[in-house]
Amino acid sequence: MSERSEGAARLRHYVSDAPFDPLETEQLSAGQERLFTSSGWRLMWLKLKRHRLAVWSGYILLALYGSILISEFLAPYSLGHRHTDFIYAPPQGIHIFHEGKLQAPFTYGLRYRLNMENLRREYERDDFRRYPVRFLCRGDSYDFWGLFESDVHLICPNKDGTLFLLGTDRLGRDLFSRIIYGARISLTVGLFGIIFSMVLGIIFGGLAGYYGGIVDSTVQRIIEVIRSFPELPLWMALSAALPITWSPILIYFGITLILGLIDWTGLARAVRSKFLALREEDFTAAAELMGARPSRIIARHLVPNFTSHLIASATLSIPSMILGETALSFLGLGLRPPVTSWGVLLSEAQSINAVALYPWLMVPGLAVVIVVLTFNFLGDGLRDAADPYH
Amino acid sequence: MTVRRPEGPPGRPTRRGPAAGLPGLLIGAALAIAICPGETRAGGTLPKSYISPFHFGHSEQSGALPKVEKRLPRVPLVVQPGPDQTVGRHGGTLHLLVGRERDTRLMVVYGYARLVRYNRDFRLVPDILESFEVEEGRVFTFRLRPGHRWSDGHPFTAEDFRYSWEDVALNPELSPGGPSKDLLVEGKPPVFEVLDAATVRYSWHKPNPHFLPALAAAAPRFIYRPAHYLKRFHAAHADPAELQKAAANLRLHSWTALHGLKDNPYRFDNPDLPTLQPWRNRTHGPAQRFIYVRNPYYHRVDPEGRQLPYIDRVILRVSSPSLIAAKSMGGESDLQARGLEFNQYTFLKMGEKRRPYDVRLWKTARGAHLALYPNLNVADPAWRKLFRNTRFRRALSLGINRHEINQVLYYGLGTEGNNSVLPQSPLYSESQRFRWARYDLKLANRLLDRLGLTKRDSRGLRLLPDGRPMEIIVESSGEHTEQTDVLELVRDSWVKLGIKLYSKPGQREVLRKRVISGQTMMSIWSGLAAGIATADVSPAELAPTNPYQFHWPRWGEWYSSRGKTGEPPALPAARKLLALYRKWETAQHEADRISVWREMLEIHAEEVLTFGLVAAIPQPVVVSQALRNIPKEAIYSWEPGAYFGIYNFDMFWLARRKKG
Amino acid sequence: MFTFFVRRLSVMVPTLFVISALIFVIIQLPPGDYLTTLVGELEAQGENVDQEKLDFLRQQYGLDRPVLEQYALWLKGMLQGDFGYSFEHNQPVVDVVGDQVLLSVVIAFATILFTWVLSFPIGVYSATHQYSTGDHVLTFIGFLGLATPNFLLALILMYLANVYFGTSIGGLMDPRYLDQAWTWGKAVSILEHLWVPVIVIGTSGTATLIRRLRANLLDELQKPYVNTARAKGLSEMRLLLKYPMRVALNPFIADIGNLLPALLSSAAIVAVVLSLPTTGPLLLKALQSQDMYLAGFLLMCLSVLTVIGMFLSDIALAALDPRIRLTGGRQR
Repeated sequence: MSERSEGAARLRHYVSDAPFDPLETEQLSAGQERLFTSSGWRLMWLKLKRHRLAVWSGYILLALYGSILISEFLAPYSLGHRHTDFIYAPPQGIHIFHEGKLQAPFTYGLRYRLNMENLRREYERDDFRRYPVRFLCRGDSYDFWGLFESDVHLICPNKDGTLFLLGTDRLGRDLFSRIIYGARISLTVGLFGIIFSMVLGIIFGGLAGYYGGIVDSTVQRIIEVIRSFPELPLWMALSAALPITWSPILIYFGITLILGLIDWTGLARAVRSKFLALREEDFTAAAELMGARPSRIIARHLVPNFTSHLIASATLSIPSMILGETALSFLGLGLRPPVTSWGVLLSEAQSINAVALYPWLMVPGLAVVIVVLTFNFLGDGLRDAADPYH
Repeated sequence: MTVRRPEGPPGRPTRRGPAAGLPGLLIGAALAIAICPGETRAGGTLPKSYISPFHFGHSEQSGALPKVEKRLPRVPLVVQPGPDQTVGRHGGTLHLLVGRERDTRLMVVYGYARLVRYNRDFRLVPDILESFEVEEGRVFTFRLRPGHRWSDGHPFTAEDFRYSWEDVALNPELSPGGPSKDLLVEGKPPVFEVLDAATVRYSWHKPNPHFLPALAAAAPRFIYRPAHYLKRFHAAHADPAELQKAAANLRLHSWTALHGLKDNPYRFDNPDLPTLQPWRNRTHGPAQRFIYVRNPYYHRVDPEGRQLPYIDRVILRVSSPSLIAAKSMGGESDLQARGLEFNQYTFLKMGEKRRPYDVRLWKTARGAHLALYPNLNVADPAWRKLFRNTRFRRALSLGINRHEINQVLYYGLGTEGNNSVLPQSPLYSESQRFRWARYDLKLANRLLDRLGLTKRDSRGLRLLPDGRPMEIIVESSGEHTEQTDVLELVRDSWVKLGIKLYSKPGQREVLRKRVISGQTMMSIWSGLAAGIATADVSPAELAPTNPYQFHWPRWGEWYSSRGKTGEPPALPAARKLLALYRKWETAQHEADRISVWREMLEIHAEEVLTFGLVAAIPQPVVVSQALRNIPKEAIYSWEPGAYFGIYNFDMFWLARRKKG
Repeated sequence: MFTFFVRRLSVMVPTLFVISALIFVIIQLPPGDYLTTLVGELEAQGENVDQEKLDFLRQQYGLDRPVLEQYALWLKGMLQGDFGYSFEHNQPVVDVVGDQVLLSVVIAFATILFTWVLSFPIGVYSATHQYSTGDHVLTFIGFLGLATPNFLLALILMYLANVYFGTSIGGLMDPRYLDQAWTWGKAVSILEHLWVPVIVIGTSGTATLIRRLRANLLDELQKPYVNTARAKGLSEMRLLLKYPMRVALNPFIADIGNLLPALLSSAAIVAVVLSLPTTGPLLLKALQSQDMYLAGFLLMCLSVLTVIGMFLSDIALAALDPRIRLTGGRQR
């Protein structure tokens, strides 16, 4: 119903017949509604899902970290189980075909002979002896996290046979089991170091970014000094300073602290630059005007804004921690046998002997590569996803 | 080559050919040594003529070097080839690999030219000296070889001994602590006399059994120095102001530092320092390659008159220690044992197909390659009481499965047993080697039960009298995974005794401090150094004589500090060992020394003061196929033995001319 | 520009002072000193050591003086050009180090060059063909280099080179060329030995650079001006080279500063494994045997190299990017 039809005669217009509700807003579909009202985290997750490599890496890492909880269950042998008769045995495969016929998974027997001429232990596959592998079976007993004792394993060798999926080392210990146990230390060393480094990075970077001025310059100088210091001698000296009286657990923590102590600078710089940018935002000014204390502003308003970046950076730093631990073990500092970590396993394989004669001893290197790769892909994906409005 | 009839000393047959007289010669020499214990003279007929290693066109022809007869002492030492060696030829270059630049001292070790030296039977014979006399074990008269010269041509005379004694050892600035311990008896130095230009005498008031072994050691005590060269660095013979300036030029703060820098005959890094060794260094450090050329005035010849050494040059290459095995496998070394370990044998054997060398297996000579040392001075009183109980130690030793260790780590090629002397030593006794060392869990458990340690906890571990579970922490220096491996094997067998073993790798320095302070319960370390000892070797290791012994550091400290620090030995066995050691030091006759040794070894066997594991570990030796006179099987030992020294390194020769 | 230059320079000096103090502390941290490690080593090999000579040497070398005094003396010496004495080699430190520093610089330089040459085209390709198969494969390879522990890779490559190419194990050249004059054969031998360390050290830096370049280029390519240029008819290649590249290049150059410490550190480990005559193994040995002045000198050298490298990259960055000059510092 037009009210000024005469005056609007020259203007062609159209007025809708639909009922008019001034408070009405545009109707969204359910999906769109969810999208527009979703939190920053959800947006990040949606973007991350598109990066399939990152997602798969995430799954793999979850599986690996989950395996830490049930290492004793997964490993066919316990950590100290030695086989005096099977020293430096090469990897055995699990077979399902024997003479063309399908069978339950089994391993062949191993025949051992000492070559007296070059003192080489020679192993031959004995095709006449087959040992079916058992699943969900009883094997070496173990203490499950101090809660109860058990001897159930996922996979174990046959009573009379052997199951050396990745061969054995110089004392006849199964390498596959040792890698599973070693994951406990190698995978967690990065975590503790990262937490430590994150705390330091946020504190220093935050202070520098928020207060600016002289605080900023001092922190920047400190960062520069630490960054220009070559890592290797710093590691060496700090590791040498760890008191020898400490138990392996304490030394382990000491190592992670050292790694974190050197790593926090990158994070601090990122935090600082982010803070410097966010400080100029309107919401910060509003909070200040409303009388919020700096600590509340930092904690409540600034930090949540770049947590995603922080997580991405952290994920990208963990691999360098893991590699750092292997390097330290290689140099003979840090963790040493009888503690088992991938770094220790690698340092035992670090000889021309191993490369030439017993190459399966280098498989822990493969494990390191896989973990580092997956962390990098995941971190990449997280970083791409961290800025969802981009 | 012109030859001239040498003038032998009067009374010495010079007409008989050396080969013909060999058997008679050896018998004669043996008789001489056996009959006159106080006097020893270097045996051997002198060859008719001498053959110089320097050939046509070389400096000898052009007159820069005197003729060989003038270069050799009038009575050179004629070296007889060993039972597996032959007379060789001059020429060639030998390539060796070393792990540190410091290892240039190996040329002094391998060269093994000493005043007196050990022969292959480990008896002391004169080498640089023409002869020596010992009276009552305390008066030593040395006769030099007339005409013997330093490597730069200057004569080697008693003046060099005098300079070393009066101007260096007694000089308060150069030697603030006085002369070294093996030159002192009860703290008193000897009386040094120069009898004539070729004779010197050292006289002590009491016997000094350490003197001759110190001269013949792999790292010897040098009591002679090239006085003519060093005098210009000594404040008493040169202008102090000039010296100060020279020192400052090299950034040293006094002439003593300058003198010490130039005078390093063991380290062998000063190419200008004259020497008596078969080869002399020609390269200034720091370097990756050290070239040693033959010493034209070397005093030894072979039975046919060739002046030794056979090989013209030795080139030492410094390489990273972890790569020595790989480089040897690649054929980069002509003779290599240093830096090679037994677990690399298979790898080295692999390379035999591709390169012209073969790998031999010698044996090491420590009483035990690795041994466990319970700390009898540990701070914890309960453990101290137990460790001092002989039956407890015996039980622990019986609980070690040495056979398994031998099989797993050494393919069964080692010799199991106690930390005692080896079969090659004349003091060996089979019963002492295996007493309380055979694996017997039943007996061990019975012994522990009889000691009253019958209570056990829920894990099956025995309990100490005060209720704590028996957990022993064994500390190591953390340098070899071998040590950790061995401990893992020991742990598995001790758990069957009800004792838990924890292994803790540490650092050498820290380990030592902890042992001395009593914080370490037990440690693992290498065993008896004098594994092939004769009665002339000092049995100091068997008694508490120095604070670096891991089983009784405080008692050892008490002895070495002469009662000022440490504690006197509390165990009667240790007191007896110390008394026996003192008896050895004052013994005058060999029979006394032998009986002392035997008694000390017996005490060790009965008391099981250390737990030896496996000894005589094979040592791979890579030998180029062109190299001759290297024994096929031999003992690789530092003291006595100087690694290759006693096998006459200067007689190794190259059958094919090698390039470079 | 000039004030920026001066400001950066003036900041460098106190940084170096602090570093020198840190270095000294770090060297002194392990227990004992050079002589105690010497004793221990010799005794471990079964060789006897003269205790009195050691006490004498300790007093000669000034190892019995308090730490602060030793530091002050060292600092004073350094400022006068006297870098101290190496106990292990019995020579002044400068004589020991000599041309090994040069060699380290050469290897570092070659590695940086290799890293750039490799990561540049890969980074550009990855950015322009984002999420394609090629992108994934190349990034994967780049990451692989980052993920593999250096020392293991070096050992494997060295062994394979020996087995398949007959390259001698370790060292910078075949042993027979060591003391010889420069010949074609010698140069070839050096190249044969050089490729292993350069590849091993270089691959870890490559991945980081690829990622960085890719990320920055992607950021730029999404900016409106790219669309404008494309709409105006500029060819893809010219478009790429003219604008986004210059901006993306900035962090690339800035990364010299970041790359250098990590490079020198991993170069040290690899050089130890491969037995290269560079500062890495020398430093390691010095730290292990507590050869105080040698270790201190090498650490100072490395730190100075790094600080200068960072300084140069800052200057280069400032020259390229006016924003840096005006705002006075790195924003990224």
